[in-house]
Amino acid sequence: MVVLEAIGIRKHFGGVIALSNANLRCYQGRITGLLGANGSGKSTMSKIICGVYQPDGGEIRYKGKVVKYRSPSEARRDGIAMVFQNLSLVADLTVWQNIVLGNEEAKSFFLDDDSAKELSRKILAQLLPDLDIDKKVSQLNPGEMQIVEIAKAVSQNPQLLILDEPTAALEQAQVRNLFSYMRTLAKEGVAMIFTSHRLWEVMEICDDVTIFRNGENVASIDFEKEEKDPEKIIGYITGDVQKKKVEGKREKVTGEIVLKVKNLNYSRSLKNISFDLKKGEILGIGGLAGQGQIELMHALAGAFRSVRGDVELKGKKIRLNRPLDAIKEGVVFVPGDKHLEGLFLTHSVLFNMIFPKTGLPRHPLFIPYEDYRKECEEIVNILSIKAPTVDVPVETLSGGNQQKVVVGKWLPFDINVLLLADPAKGIDIGAKRDLYQYIVERVQENNMSVILYASDNEELIEYCDRVLIMYEGQIVESLEGEDINEDTIIACSMRVR
Amino acid sequence: MMNKNNNSSKFSLSNYVFNPEFSSLLILIVMFIITAILQEKFFTLKSIVRNINAFAPLILLSMGAAVVIISGGIDLSAGAALSLFTCVLTTVMKKSDPITGVYALLVTFAVAILVGIVNGIGIGYLRIPPVIVTFATSYMWLGIGLFLRPTPGGESVEWFRIFYNPGMIEGISPSIKQFGSMIPPALILILIACFIWWVISKTKTGRYIYAVGSNNDSAYASGINTAKVQMQACIINSIFIFLAALFFVGQNQSGDARMGDPLTLRAIASAIVGGVALSGGKGSVYFALVGALILSFVNKIIFFANISTAYQTLVSGLIVIIAIAAPVAYTLYSKE
Repeated sequence: MVVLEAIGIRKHFGGVIALSNANLRCYQGRITGLLGANGSGKSTMSKIICGVYQPDGGEIRYKGKVVKYRSPSEARRDGIAMVFQNLSLVADLTVWQNIVLGNEEAKSFFLDDDSAKELSRKILAQLLPDLDIDKKVSQLNPGEMQIVEIAKAVSQNPQLLILDEPTAALEQAQVRNLFSYMRTLAKEGVAMIFTSHRLWEVMEICDDVTIFRNGENVASIDFEKEEKDPEKIIGYITGDVQKKKVEGKREKVTGEIVLKVKNLNYSRSLKNISFDLKKGEILGIGGLAGQGQIELMHALAGAFRSVRGDVELKGKKIRLNRPLDAIKEGVVFVPGDKHLEGLFLTHSVLFNMIFPKTGLPRHPLFIPYEDYRKECEEIVNILSIKAPTVDVPVETLSGGNQQKVVVGKWLPFDINVLLLADPAKGIDIGAKRDLYQYIVERVQENNMSVILYASDNEELIEYCDRVLIMYEGQIVESLEGEDINEDTIIACSMRVR
Repeated sequence: MMNKNNNSSKFSLSNYVFNPEFSSLLILIVMFIITAILQEKFFTLKSIVRNINAFAPLILLSMGAAVVIISGGIDLSAGAALSLFTCVLTTVMKKSDPITGVYALLVTFAVAILVGIVNGIGIGYLRIPPVIVTFATSYMWLGIGLFLRPTPGGESVEWFRIFYNPGMIEGISPSIKQFGSMIPPALILILIACFIWWVISKTKTGRYIYAVGSNNDSAYASGINTAKVQMQACIINSIFIFLAALFFVGQNQSGDARMGDPLTLRAIASAIVGGVALSGGKGSVYFALVGALILSFVNKIIFFANISTAYQTLVSGLIVIIAIAAPVAYTLYSKE
């Protein structure tokens, strides 16, 4: 039975057309995958269905009736719930308070907290049984937050559940839990829309997929009738059928050591971290989520004042107690959470790109705007950032393009060590290729070194010369050559080997 | 599956201790002891009653300020609203006619609700930054107050002293007089405010005030009418200010369009000293009361410590800075 049908949806933001002619159909008890590059309009589509945005044109039929939702709460009353990509949780409330937020039950006059806790426990038992529901959300790690977000959407017994990139922050075990829970919901008759950049996830969980490109749906594949062909799907997503791949591993790294880290300690999250980084090397940091990888990247970027340990850059001892220390030494950091650390969202692309330069001690008094503008336009071209001009605010770009701006702003620098903390988080396959292609080229040309933390093992396998596995704040394994493969990385991460 | 949460219960006690609220309580205890040492007869009934009377207006306003700040706003019009309420009360009341006291109560309460609504419309529905809204409305309240009471004065019915000291009312039964001298009405007003907040904190409104202050967008996405919640916070604040106005008119039997001005920033400072975060969503309304007590004790200590009047203001400023900085330093230290 068709639960939801969207026909000819149009939507634009200012001058940017997000959706030109989008169609989508969801069925009771089935999981529909939504695929597409960043900026293809799939997030916009989800948000229109659940009432966050109103379409400029087109029609949405829900259970046979034409509906026009003006807010998420109206859609929710009709049984449409969405799990948001940029989390909709309130950090200062507890887990269970967040799960029932906006939907509290009252017993006589006062809130019925006991039944709220009971409900939260019941849902989380299937998703993440160990979670303490009295914890505040600010104390959770990103994976746990995402699960609370899902629990919140499920708590209202939706008939249509929209999951927008729910797995980006999750570990593999959590993803498995989520998938089995989604199957249970599907059996109960819930229709679901699922988006993810990880193709294998979509192929595993979805019953059918709809592929978006440039604001239109370009293809629909029913997995019951057609075979699951990843190459074909990628072809639809990128628009060109022939397969592109980043050039394989480069010629050998030189023996010269660029960065020497000895006994790095920080609070409870980093314990006696020691490693060497060679010139022209791409060093991967892997392991389960939340084992201190992010903290290590932050520490090397100078974000922690109280970090202890010896760091030598090209044989010279350096201090890493302020971000400026690191930048001056050519150690630059591309954060994964672009909203928190990387961007001034309301400012223009140009301003964001030149900002790191203006912070340098020997910057000219008057900003040479013309030079910078040329340089910025060049970077926009190289990374194929989709923006009408460099003067538009960064927040009007799509998520993937925003991330490219974060990476782009460091590119003009004389970089010794490039720290990448999950740079491809939330970026589509095409953009991911562009990004890594560019980084690999830079490594070859300039002999810079890269430390790459990626939550997706595939990225580590494809690009790294060496992979360090972290577990509870320590480096437990160093993998090289043939050992860098999915099985070994997972085995080491889980401490099976 | 890897279990990363098994140590969470172990730290629950330290979570409680490493809390800005806890440190403000420590500061209060220290100040309490210092004052008790400096002031003779600190523990006599008379002195306690006098202290409660002196502290009550700031306590009530600081609780209101805390509600608004937790909801993500700030109220720069609290003092002006307080003044306005005293002016309205003393304008409606006629000394000779006791029933006008009841009219005054009703009219002023309506004005209080209206004041909250106006602030709430500006902050919540028009989305003007709260600082701007309440700065502007503070001049509106002042203007209306001056229109009603160009100079301090006005009339009050005799029985209005019940909000200050029932013992001063002529012809009242001795038992009430006895009760009034034991339990000051100011304390009852504070308890009423606490009770109001206790009830609200058990309802959706209380939870939503925290949610909206912590993250407005998330709250909106969760289906909460954030504008309405911000308006409700403003109205609660206004009601607390109304209670303070009752006390003032009971005490002075007159209204004054400018009397509340110095209290505005002191109320906000009290809430912050009490551990309410200016960023919204964090803190406790009851602890604003602790903050107000700290600020009040500062003045007492300076008075009793024989500090030259030339330095009193400077010293009180320094103590307030320490009181605000201590919780911050404390949490930073404890996080390490």
